[in-house]
Amino acid sequence: MPEPPARARLLSPATKDPVMTGTTQQQVFEIIAKQAKVDVANVKPESTLKDLGIASLEAIELIFDIEEHFDIHFPEQQGANFDSDTAQSLVDAVQKGLDEKAAGGEGDK
Amino acid sequence: MPTIETRRVVITGMGAVSPQGVGAEALWQGLREGRSAIGPLRHKDGDALRVKVAAQVPDSFDPATGIDERTLPLLDRTSEFALHAAREAIAHSGIDFARDGLGQRTAVVVGTGVGGELTQDEQSRRLYAEKATRTHPLTIVRLMTNASASHISIAWGLRGPTYAVASACASANHAIIQAAQMIRYGMTDVAVTGGTEACLSYGALRAWEAMRVLSDDTCRPFSANRRGLVLGEGAAIFVLESLEHARARGATILAELAGTGMSADASDIVMPSAEGAASAMRQALEEAGLNPGDVDYINAHGTGTQANDSTETRAIRLAFGEHADKLAVSSTKSMHGHALGASGALELVAAIGALSENVVPPTANLDKPDPACDLDYVPNTAREMPVRAVLSNSFAFGGLNAVLALKRAP
Repeated sequence: MPEPPARARLLSPATKDPVMTGTTQQQVFEIIAKQAKVDVANVKPESTLKDLGIASLEAIELIFDIEEHFDIHFPEQQGANFDSDTAQSLVDAVQKGLDEKAAGGEGDK
Repeated sequence: MPTIETRRVVITGMGAVSPQGVGAEALWQGLREGRSAIGPLRHKDGDALRVKVAAQVPDSFDPATGIDERTLPLLDRTSEFALHAAREAIAHSGIDFARDGLGQRTAVVVGTGVGGELTQDEQSRRLYAEKATRTHPLTIVRLMTNASASHISIAWGLRGPTYAVASACASANHAIIQAAQMIRYGMTDVAVTGGTEACLSYGALRAWEAMRVLSDDTCRPFSANRRGLVLGEGAAIFVLESLEHARARGATILAELAGTGMSADASDIVMPSAEGAASAMRQALEEAGLNPGDVDYINAHGTGTQANDSTETRAIRLAFGEHADKLAVSSTKSMHGHALGASGALELVAAIGALSENVVPPTANLDKPDPACDLDYVPNTAREMPVRAVLSNSFAFGGLNAVLALKRAP
């Protein structure tokens, strides 16, 4: 079987990558840091994506990466930019998605 | 630089297949009445999709009507739309391409964002999901982006410059501008032009979902509660002629395509720039010999996304200055959805309707004013008012802007 692309390998929930086995917050912060190309130490709960230099399509890409990693789906967020979201609000959204999934929701669709 | 003699360009025929039904008149009447054709998505994979609404050509559209049974198997839905719209436009214009070898010199330029999306999707499904080892042998001729232009050329024996123009959501306006320039600079007397799109494939819907720009209820351009765009489909095709040619054959002129403007933002791949859009509007006014105060109506790009509507508002203010507050501006995408590469063509039907009947079609679903969108958007109900000149805006992902300026028939 051919090697999966690097991104899929990194983001697979089954990954052995040690950075991807911490708490939900650590995992989200790692994904944000990777997209922002900054050290994870620079990602604070109150940092907005904009603070971290993630705007427009990059923010959409980040949301996709997080969804793929946790196998969840963020609700549509019409009328707002993800750019103003904080790192912590993404962690909260992930936790909500994981809770819904555990409760037997319809899952990613 | 030597002065180049230019000719005036007029529109003498139009045809459409749209979510409002078959025919340019059905489209215009729907828009004039403020009726939105956005409804629940009808799609065989609809249960699996998150997107729930679209503006779709009604099932009553029968692609086979009036099309040669040997031609039908060659057609993707984009070409079906385009051929039907072209037939109506050509009949409407009363032009006879067989006369005096006119077809030999007539150009065909059709805009489409992606071409045969449904064909591509269907054949990919065969290969990847059903593990077929063959695609349909007509896959290539159906999906090629130029198929619509080629089928129009073949059906009416048009042997002038013929090709497709692709610039995502501005494709139709860029195509119409290209056709108009050929006439303006004397390359041809007549051109058949417009745009077509049939983009509601499973794969494309998934891709739009992932981009998070789709509304989950309806399209509310310029409204504070706007939630994104609603995808549409369809085609509109026009017959363009030099003014002399139209007069010489005694044609009924629908409107003058008086000016055109094109620009690129050269900034972000998706975030629009007010400067880029304003530049295209200024060019269109200049080529048409219009002052800002001569324009009464702008058919806006007005997708219903946060970014477009506020940026387009700023762009209109940049291009029109104080006169911006006197303009009627509306987005008919609130009623026919966003047909991507066909949008500018569907909207040209609206612009021509406004000029010929002195009625501005409304922006439907505008119920909550947004301080960032502070122009007169003709909310929800059409307005009778003198319409002397119109701009029609199209702005594409990729930062590409194409604007048409229209005047009443001379």
